[in-house]
Amino acid sequence: MNAKPKCSDPVILNLWHAIVAFAELRPNTVYETVLLEEPVSFAIDSAQTPVAWRSQPAYRAGDTVDPARVADRLLTLSAYGYVWICLGTPAADIFPIPEYFEAKRRNLNAATIGVHVSAPRAIENFLDMGHFPYVHTNILGAEPHTEVKEYEVEITPDGNEVVATRCRFYQPKASAASTEGGDIEYVYRVPHPYCSVLYKTSHVDTARLDVIGIFIQPIDQEHIRAHMLLCLVDEDNDDVAIRRFQLTIFGQDKPILENQFPRRLPLDPRAETPIRADKSSVAYRRWLAQKGVTYGVIPAAT
Amino acid sequence: MIRLYDYELSGNCYKLRLLMSFLKVPYAVVPVDFYPGRQHKSEWFLRLNPLGQLPVIDDEGFVLRDSHAILVYLASRYDPAGPWYPLDKPAVLGDVGQWLAFGDSITATASAARLHDGMFYDLDIGAARAGAHRLFRILDEHLWFGEQEGRDWVCRAAHPTIADIACFPYVMLSEEGGISRQDYPAIRRWCDRFKRIDNFIVMPGVFPASHALAA
Amino acid sequence: MSENAASRWHPIAAAHDVPYRHVFHGQLLGREFAVWRADDGFVNVWENRCLHRGVRLSIGINDGRELKCQYHGWRYSNRSAGCTYIPAHPADAPARTITIRTYPVAERYGFIWSCLDPVTEMPDIAALDQKDLVLLRGISVNAPADWVIERLKTYQFWPTNALGEAAAETVVEGSDEFCVTLRSSRNGAQTRAVLLVQPVDAGRSVIRGALDAAPAGKERIAVLRHHNERLSALRDEVERQAAAQPAPIPIEPVYQPVTPELAAMPERAPPGRNAALRVVVARKWRAGEGVAGFELRAVDGYLPTFQPGAHIDVHLPNGQVRQYSIVNAPGETASYVIGVKREPDSKGGSQCLHEAVREGDVLAISEPRNNFPLRRNATRTIFIAGGIGITPLLAMALALHHSRLAYELHYFSRSLDHFAFPERLGVLGDNLKPHVNLSPETTEARIRELLAVRRPRMQVYVCGPGPMLDVARRIAAEHGWSDSEVRFEYFRNTRKLDDSTGFEVALSRSCITLAVSPGQSILAALRERGIAIPSSCEQGACGTCIATVLEGEPDHQDVYLNDAEKRGGSRIITCVSRAKSARLILDL
Repeated sequence: MNAKPKCSDPVILNLWHAIVAFAELRPNTVYETVLLEEPVSFAIDSAQTPVAWRSQPAYRAGDTVDPARVADRLLTLSAYGYVWICLGTPAADIFPIPEYFEAKRRNLNAATIGVHVSAPRAIENFLDMGHFPYVHTNILGAEPHTEVKEYEVEITPDGNEVVATRCRFYQPKASAASTEGGDIEYVYRVPHPYCSVLYKTSHVDTARLDVIGIFIQPIDQEHIRAHMLLCLVDEDNDDVAIRRFQLTIFGQDKPILENQFPRRLPLDPRAETPIRADKSSVAYRRWLAQKGVTYGVIPAAT
Repeated sequence: MIRLYDYELSGNCYKLRLLMSFLKVPYAVVPVDFYPGRQHKSEWFLRLNPLGQLPVIDDEGFVLRDSHAILVYLASRYDPAGPWYPLDKPAVLGDVGQWLAFGDSITATASAARLHDGMFYDLDIGAARAGAHRLFRILDEHLWFGEQEGRDWVCRAAHPTIADIACFPYVMLSEEGGISRQDYPAIRRWCDRFKRIDNFIVMPGVFPASHALAA
Repeated sequence: MSENAASRWHPIAAAHDVPYRHVFHGQLLGREFAVWRADDGFVNVWENRCLHRGVRLSIGINDGRELKCQYHGWRYSNRSAGCTYIPAHPADAPARTITIRTYPVAERYGFIWSCLDPVTEMPDIAALDQKDLVLLRGISVNAPADWVIERLKTYQFWPTNALGEAAAETVVEGSDEFCVTLRSSRNGAQTRAVLLVQPVDAGRSVIRGALDAAPAGKERIAVLRHHNERLSALRDEVERQAAAQPAPIPIEPVYQPVTPELAAMPERAPPGRNAALRVVVARKWRAGEGVAGFELRAVDGYLPTFQPGAHIDVHLPNGQVRQYSIVNAPGETASYVIGVKREPDSKGGSQCLHEAVREGDVLAISEPRNNFPLRRNATRTIFIAGGIGITPLLAMALALHHSRLAYELHYFSRSLDHFAFPERLGVLGDNLKPHVNLSPETTEARIRELLAVRRPRMQVYVCGPGPMLDVARRIAAEHGWSDSEVRFEYFRNTRKLDDSTGFEVALSRSCITLAVSPGQSILAALRERGIAIPSSCEQGACGTCIATVLEGEPDHQDVYLNDAEKRGGSRIITCVSRAKSARLILDL
């Protein structure tokens, strides 16, 4: 029984979406969530293989289940410590994050947080540096060091990703591991309309990069679950301290995102006022428009 | 030195961080991974607090749970002559007691709604929000009449007390649970006044106010 | 709701709801407002949305003069609602007029009133025109305004001086779509209550009531509680009724699109030395020895937003045009304050202002030009002012002072009496360092001391007589200060200009080539051909007539561009500079 999906945007429907971190799951137990307005249930077996299906009365959250017996399954895959599912036909593989597989890295899910905003707004916020002194005061930025220096943005030739490089911002304390301030360099990628990955120089080993990913699960057009992947070089601080730092950052962004209107990202250039510091957002909005995304955005008037 | 078992995003833990900042009492943070780690339900933590709740303090071996009980203890111990919990004023202490209980009700409603929306706690969200609005109407009315009578704070006292601290965090974070404060202008003014207390600190989700106009 | 709901003035807050340094979150007919009172008492009613990325301004910061958005720190000025500072680009004055949509406001009868689509000014309301009007606590109701009005017609209350006695008689004196007036009588005591209903949204309203009198002290509180209790009960009833029906759909919010210019290219400055504004001289006074202060107020509407360091062209009655820096502190947008030094050897401009122009006269001025933006991202800023050079630096110092950023203002002057605007200088406290009646050698030594210690992320601004600037320039270079760390503002270009060359100028965008003859400036040659370029001082000091050079070697004769810019050769001040090569190609 294949009911008509509530989301009619084929671009978004045919993507892989992260729904949960493996670390939160016990085997053979039913869990529930909502993806693109569809109630979805899932479970993992003792070999950590995920199985997902459109929610049915027979399986309720918390029930014990033998995943092998579930029929009518949705497409699933495991990547970067998360279960991903696709409600449509996946147009491509999951995007690569090679650093995840390096030796001597700490990989963890910082947290999954619910936010009352659209996925694209959350991605734009992730790409933005100008808010560091005002929203992440004395952590990622502080007045009077407010300048967003010129950086580069491009869409990769295959059209798959938006990439921003040479991003620099002065930060008093850039991560759980740092003790003093300095200009931090960032690179941002948007390899998926609802996912972004940032790279910044590790304070522990300046020859390597820390990687932070945000994978947004759209519950509906204006509600999300944001999953945060950390892929760090830090060996001094423990998981709890690292999580605390990232949750502080995200907890500071949440009220800003929830006070943005309209909640969906407007793609019309006349909707909002960009400045040079917004180059990556401008490119991201144009990229979404070119791809034909209509879910979670307000398309430009034609 | 006081050890505070603390979670950065917890409003109840923030109440203690606030008081200890106001009183300039030094403390060491023991981070507990409330979410997603659920460390507050782990064996080692349940030994400290069988209720499995944050915050807990350990003051040189004296262990105490419950944010409001800890507020009472810290104010009585470290600021006995001060106005936060004025031991010499029974009427104010009574007032504080009644508003600490009110603060517990705010936690049960507004904080619950926030946990539902942000961390996917399974609970009756409609009841939580309706409950919070009922309390906010009462608080707004109370603060409005207070302003009419020349009072700036929750209790009938000229200085803020731990009752203000007990009510502030989950009021200030209410929108994260879908509870707007647009209809409560007296509460919004009180929040500004609270943010201007010397040595006020923020937590994620709370922003500082501007400086007051010099008299 | 009738069509005239939008053109009617509604109360959106009590005056009590808008204290200083607070932002009130209001709403009318579905539109959200950020309502804030500036330190000068003016109440601003703005669309509750920052133009940058749509974040609510009601979570922003009211610092008394400007509203600062919580997301990226953009600052918007009192009254004009124009953006005055974008922290991500500290060196650029917001080059475009980014202005929040404002709504009309009236503060009357103890309420703040606004209107979405006004046809008239706010009308008088006779029922509220009472000396002892007492405002009740506003009651928010989750029900449509018309239901609340209907229910209010049956509202029963006691007269103020007969509370709690046997039943009083309450009658409706009058009512309309958004207001019910009732009179309660008992034993000769009478009280009139005017109950306005503010339509917040399709299913939400606020009851805002006022009584025609009330006693003082405890009895007044009793009266307020009486109405609060009864209106709350009424509210509960109406909400029960409303809950039994499906909730009305909220009014669709209307977001004003930004102008096409703001969405893409920066706005082009209007051509020529236009005098776009009419101002009246509201005040003229002796602001210091030899300095006349003028306060210029708009004849109608608001004055445009300025940034600290901006100047205006003043078109004098004698036909001349002179430039004066705006001395104002942030948020002071009701008028521009300028200081005019009497120059004995001038061509008569300052003379005209000192002698002929009087309070009440109307002058034509240009919009503010900001060619000397103040960076606010330095760890410490040093201002060095000589004589009347104080004017732009005073505005800058006041801005940093108000933002609590670190600075020092070194003011070199002939005598204490020569210090201009002493009341404003007084605000700066210890940050003002006076240097009085120093010889040129001592002045140079002092400047040397100031510039001797160069620390990273410090900024220096210098404005004063030409020789002082030249000295400062030399000393700064000696101590390794870069062009981006020290900025010089020249009021005049005292260099001897050599306009004896003739050359060609090609315009890349217009595809025109024109000849510039000896004795003619590039600016004049362009104007002759109908190419409009804005200008102001027309002597190479202010930078307004700047153009971009694509090819050719400029002959810089101005005092606006710094050495690095001059060496770079890609910019030229068209009113005085010329060409070393036979030809220049300009991006025009």
